[in-house]
Amino acid sequence: MNRALEQILPRVQKPARYTGGEYNAVVKDRHQADLRYALCFPDTYEIGMSNLGLRILYGVMNGMEGVWCERVFAPWTDMEEEMRRAGISLYGLESGDPISGFDIIGFSLGYEMAYTNVLNMLDLAGLPLRSADRPGLAPLVVAGGACAYNPEPLAPFVDLFVLGEGEEVTPEYIALYRQAREECWSKEEFLREAARIEGIYVPAFYEPVYKPDGTLAELRVKEGSGAPERVRKRIVEDFEHSYFPVRTIVPSTEIVHDRVMLELFRGCIRGCRFCQAGYVYRPVRSRSPERLARYGKDACRDSGYQEMTLSSLSSTDYPGLLPLCDQLLDYCAPRDIGLSLPSLRADTFSMNLMDRLQRVRKGGLTFAPEAGTQRLRDAINKNLTEADLLQSVRTAFSGGWSGVKLYFMLGLPTETDEDVLGIADLARKVYAAWREVTPNRARGVRITVSTSWFVPKPHTAFQWEGQITREEYQRRVDLLRDAFKKDRSITYNWHDPDTSWLEAVFSRGDRRLADVLEYAWERGAKMDAWSEHFDFPRWLDALAACGVDGDFYAHRQRPRDEVFPWCRIDTMVTPDFLWREREKCYASQVTPDCRSKCSGCGANRLLKGGVCDG
Amino acid sequence: MADRLLFSKAGTARYISHLDLMRTFQRAFARAGISIKHTEGFHPHPFVSIPLPLSVGFSSQCEVLEFGLTGGAEREEVPARLNAAMPSGITVHRCYEAEKPVKQLTYVNYIVTMEYDPGAPFGAERAIRDLLARESLVMDKRSKKAKSGVVQVDLIPLIAKATVEERRDTIALDLVLRAQNPGLNPELVVAAIRTHCPQAAPDFVSFHRRAVLDGKMEPWE
Ligand code: SF4
Repeated sequence: MNRALEQILPRVQKPARYTGGEYNAVVKDRHQADLRYALCFPDTYEIGMSNLGLRILYGVMNGMEGVWCERVFAPWTDMEEEMRRAGISLYGLESGDPISGFDIIGFSLGYEMAYTNVLNMLDLAGLPLRSADRPGLAPLVVAGGACAYNPEPLAPFVDLFVLGEGEEVTPEYIALYRQAREECWSKEEFLREAARIEGIYVPAFYEPVYKPDGTLAELRVKEGSGAPERVRKRIVEDFEHSYFPVRTIVPSTEIVHDRVMLELFRGCIRGCRFCQAGYVYRPVRSRSPERLARYGKDACRDSGYQEMTLSSLSSTDYPGLLPLCDQLLDYCAPRDIGLSLPSLRADTFSMNLMDRLQRVRKGGLTFAPEAGTQRLRDAINKNLTEADLLQSVRTAFSGGWSGVKLYFMLGLPTETDEDVLGIADLARKVYAAWREVTPNRARGVRITVSTSWFVPKPHTAFQWEGQITREEYQRRVDLLRDAFKKDRSITYNWHDPDTSWLEAVFSRGDRRLADVLEYAWERGAKMDAWSEHFDFPRWLDALAACGVDGDFYAHRQRPRDEVFPWCRIDTMVTPDFLWREREKCYASQVTPDCRSKCSGCGANRLLKGGVCDG
Repeated sequence: MADRLLFSKAGTARYISHLDLMRTFQRAFARAGISIKHTEGFHPHPFVSIPLPLSVGFSSQCEVLEFGLTGGAEREEVPARLNAAMPSGITVHRCYEAEKPVKQLTYVNYIVTMEYDPGAPFGAERAIRDLLARESLVMDKRSKKAKSGVVQVDLIPLIAKATVEERRDTIALDLVLRAQNPGLNPELVVAAIRTHCPQAAPDFVSFHRRAVLDGKMEPWE
């Protein structure tokens, strides 16, 4: 271990985050590795190591001959300060080598509030922030993940974005990079070729042209660049046989999801109209229960974890769930390994299943009805009925559960005061259900209602919607708070509006926001997802200084023919379908799930046969 | 009687905290396919215990972990099987039947290496020796139990043996300290040096635990 690092570690919190050396961390011989890849997660170790996608890419790349992929996380502020003082630049956890000397630096972008960490990490690595100021081929700065579906706010900083699932496209651009290095291509030459790979968006080849009113006239393809009109996202078609990290790093310090994560399927059949993941990960592709059971057992065996979780967007929609759980339980129960389902639907099937799972803590149960009335739930296509919810909580309460958390959004399109107050009604009905069935009234019950401020996301049916104003959000919060005044068993929490507003600005922002990011970062913005570091006035100041009106992005209702900053990104779900979904929302009409009936979103075109398995 | 492991903790593993280390062992046993006794209760988990927690950042060649083999694995094969399942820096040397109870663990031998960027200052070794030869040396120690958050401890009765040796850029302290009830952390000895001999304050200190001993200064096993 590097001496300079050794000297600062005793002074920082949780130093085990900064040393590497965990079980299954891949250490290769520097001389055998011709391609060094820094896989960066712009948040802390504990959060980044909980990300399954990161583990998958790590495994895929380290499985490649000559490629050494290392992990890099954002150091907490105490560590950053020590590193800057000691002149230690950002390093890969496996080798301790500075990543500025690596070939490729890849960021996984999960949420907008981590953008400043991307800039901060580039700076900590000693690299210029802007792509244009990094003339050499190496290190190439790449970004992917959910936020890449609107890459524009980060466009000037990133050399290329990867759209969709990275397992297959990553080896492709690595191969191209090797060729480029071999044949001494310039960065420009490399990017031109890279832009021909399906799923790669090179922002330098698209130039925003604005109208006088500030909206986009077009995102012009740079002449002679050969970049495609639309960049189609990548998916792993054969999910059954795709790589799963059975052998994966077991951190030596506690992380957020410290357990085996078994990915049952990709995509989601539901089609909730507000949900970006639900649209952009289409179509659904599953693994067989036999394979999953094997992976799950092998992963437990290799990691020694005492807990496993079935992780997918809506795990109870997995068709083979019962046989899978039975097989897993046969293995887990005698070994005291706990099995959990994070995303529960409120239906009888799920509740029966819950009962069978071992060691589930009978503390709190979480449901996300998202909206307070059936009308609004229909409008957002959240397929959950009040009867289902009440039946589920009845089962839970009579089984001894003593708490339930209910999540809602305020400001969904078409929401009225009646819908807002419907949240209180629903919570009261949950309370009444508890009184009716609980075996132990003396113990009391905790019902927690949380509301967030709805943020419209790109590539969803609500991408055209304005976020309701802050005053209106506050009014609806107050309305609900008043409604709950007399309910002593119900706790009401609401989200901090500052973060949600900024998220709304960035999630649908264009390239002009890059200056805002850089300005805020220069004045200390980082770790913005952490309330202790989030400084809203600093952001207002940055927006003002750059002449950017945040409300323009957050609150403006877009016309149907709006040219979006993400117009070059093709998820293969057609804008016409999304618009139809939006109109059905305004008519409070539901759309069946993909298994009941295909609604023709277009995502089937990503599959060879052209038919989704639903 | 319980089973014990003798292991060392070095390199990157020095930064694994006490709680995390216990979790690491629980998982390593599972990976190695060695079944061990579980706790009772609603959430049973594999039982392991480390009698004398090591401070984060310290290295050690004499850590002890207590557990119970439940059959299936012979003691002799435990070290090799565990070592194949460990993070880097942890090496299990021996698995044996516990001989002496934990309450007989009386002393700990530490090597404290104090480094000086410009070389050890003139007279520092002497000053430290004098300091440790005092009749009494009272220091404030942080305490969760005390209302004020600090208690006063006299270090001298807790130091059984101290050798000070100067090398070129370093001064090494070979200390035998009380292990428990109360024990003394060598960091407090260095803190005393910083307070009372500021000219001998080191730029960087590393701590290594060399041996755990019983009341007769014999190895505690
Ligand atoms: S094509 Fe049809 S079945 Fe496939 S994802 Fe779209 S709506 Fe669902």
